[in-house]
Amino acid sequence: MIGEAVIDGVFIPRVLIVLLLAFAVSLLIRRVLRSFNLYRFIWHAGLFDTALFFALAWLITEATVGVTSYGIAN
Amino acid sequence: MIRKPYNLSFALANTAAVLSALYIAFALDLERPYWAMFTVFIIAKPISGAVRSKAFYRFLGTLGGATIALLLVPPLVQAPVLLSLAISGWVGVCLYFSLLDRTPRSYVFMLAGYTAAIIGFSVVDKPEAVFDTMVARLEEISLGIVCTAIAHSVLFPQNIAAKLNERIERTINASAAWIADALRGPPHRTDARAYQALAQVVTELHVLYTHVAFETSEIPRSAGIMRALLDRLTVLAAHLMSVQEALVALREQAPLRPPFMRFINDASRWARTISDPSRSTARRNNVLPPRFESSDNLTDGQSLLEQASASRLATLMKTLAESRVLASALRDPTPQLPSDLQREVALSGRRSLHRDRGLAVLSGCAATGACLIACALWIGLSWPEGGVAAQFAAIGGSLPATLDKPSKVLRAAVLGILMALPVGAIYVFAIFPKIDGFESLALVLAPALLLFSLMQTSEKLEGAALTLAIAFSGALALQPTYQANFASFVNSNTAQIVGLLVANATMIIFRTIDPLWNAVRISRAGWRAVSQLATRETVDIQGWSLQMFDRLGLVMSRLRDEDLPQAVAGHIDPLRDLRVGLNLAALQRAESGFPMSVRAALRRVQTDVSSTYDRYATGQHSPARDFRASIDEGIRSLATQSPSAGRRDGLTALTLLRLDLAPSARPYVPEAVAA
Repeated sequence: MIGEAVIDGVFIPRVLIVLLLAFAVSLLIRRVLRSFNLYRFIWHAGLFDTALFFALAWLITEATVGVTSYGIAN
Repeated sequence: MIRKPYNLSFALANTAAVLSALYIAFALDLERPYWAMFTVFIIAKPISGAVRSKAFYRFLGTLGGATIALLLVPPLVQAPVLLSLAISGWVGVCLYFSLLDRTPRSYVFMLAGYTAAIIGFSVVDKPEAVFDTMVARLEEISLGIVCTAIAHSVLFPQNIAAKLNERIERTINASAAWIADALRGPPHRTDARAYQALAQVVTELHVLYTHVAFETSEIPRSAGIMRALLDRLTVLAAHLMSVQEALVALREQAPLRPPFMRFINDASRWARTISDPSRSTARRNNVLPPRFESSDNLTDGQSLLEQASASRLATLMKTLAESRVLASALRDPTPQLPSDLQREVALSGRRSLHRDRGLAVLSGCAATGACLIACALWIGLSWPEGGVAAQFAAIGGSLPATLDKPSKVLRAAVLGILMALPVGAIYVFAIFPKIDGFESLALVLAPALLLFSLMQTSEKLEGAALTLAIAFSGALALQPTYQANFASFVNSNTAQIVGLLVANATMIIFRTIDPLWNAVRISRAGWRAVSQLATRETVDIQGWSLQMFDRLGLVMSRLRDEDLPQAVAGHIDPLRDLRVGLNLAALQRAESGFPMSVRAALRRVQTDVSSTYDRYATGQHSPARDFRASIDEGIRSLATQSPSAGRRDGLTALTLLRLDLAPSARPYVPEAVAA
């Protein structure tokens, strides 16, 4: 999570990429849940959405912890 | 607007958002934490969907403006005049585009304009810092946005759906009750205000619905249903007025015939049932409207009028009944809609409101002008804080540009700054030197933050609260280390006020608009739209109707009661224009099945309408030719055709068009009798 990615010579904090990715995935999941009308089982949608986002961010961080492909410097 | 206990919970959530934004900004050692602080106040709204949409638009706008500043400043920084011209011009162009869109989305453009000014003018003496300033502004604004969005979605969120649904329910009930009354008597003067109220509700619903896409996820997104519902609410008043006019004309000729009388009374009773909120929704959705079986013997004027009002009344009742069904579907989309409505809802289509290009150009020029004057002062006087004045001239020229009297808001803003300054001064020079650490800062700030947030929940104090909060944040100019400098405190705040005063002066010169004059302008746009519909340059009748109805609200809200006679004398009657358009569209739909000779007669009617409305638009208030002749000709040629649905619709449209355009004319007499 700590560290920077290098895209075409520009340093970008890795956490920014993780958060953006998590946000995109959470939008997708929310859309799917809504299309099946599953939100009626959720007490507090705002809290759920926020928690979902953070859970995804954690998951992506954990999953990519070993990724040091080209351009990602630790 | 919001129930009482939520005011306090909103204020608490907002204070939490401000403090968390400040905490994170300090922890990350950001350059200007107060940018994050006032962003919270700018996007805070008592409804979570509105907060999230504004958050999104603010981010986009800031990104756009920052990028432009990054592109403009380095190449032009050696030529201050060119740079001033470029940035001021950009502010004006952005404002122009922002004013064309009257939904919350317009904020993106406006913000892109003055963000470029804020960043560009603040880095001219150290152009190498433009990238850092841009990143800092983006970081801080995003921080404020994220904190506010999370606070208002997690802590006591209020969603917009409940408010919208309640509003829609009330509007439909009121319209139904109003229809029930109107069928029993002649039209009243005061009806005009009811139309205005309905038009304003429709415009507001159209605007508010953009927030729903940003609501917390449990709110169903049903843009199609909302669009179909608004399309119906848009034409209710026009249909009702048509029926009323036809009834008046009928009663003038002879007493109503008993079967028709019965139908009208049944319809009125039906509308009364629909409007009664004490009955259950399901029961009200299922009452069938009465029907009128007319003979197809449409030879005399009375039968024609009877037929026209009955068929328009049937349309009106169908529209009302469908509005109820759609309103229920908006609350709970699970039950299947009837198939024809379902098809309509599934169609994609965008509706837009009335646009005023001329006024947008004027406002854009005023903002550019304000910005340029401030820049001239800055350069001419070699005034070190002049950049701040130019920034505030850009902001002051942009933000209130949607209003008829922007200078009122600007004066209030100056007053707000003057009021916030002493409070800010007490904090900066008396309290801050005594405290240390974030906890004590949070404690001393909390009362002011709570007060401003609480003020934001009241519709009357909202604007004042925003000005106070922004001025207060700016005056504190909280930075990671305490640095109080009385001279720069006074200097930069004076510059803000000068900037706003410059904006105010240009607004007074360029943008003081006589409401009556503006009403005439808007009506003129409507007349051109009718003419375009008549010549088939416009084919989307639903989109057209929404724009016309929106214009009705705009025009009527600018006319005071005492202006009304004068306005009517100047042919300002937006509801008539809408009726004419709907009848034209009905005529165009009906004409396709008939032989060439009939179609030619109907085309002639449309050409006459078009040329008359063109004449209205150029200020001549007399019809181009005698309508009555061409309409009567159309009726005669249609009446010779064999009975069909198309003939009935065409005759209805023509009869009602005749009432709209030549109300005082003698009733239609078939040739055979007249001769």
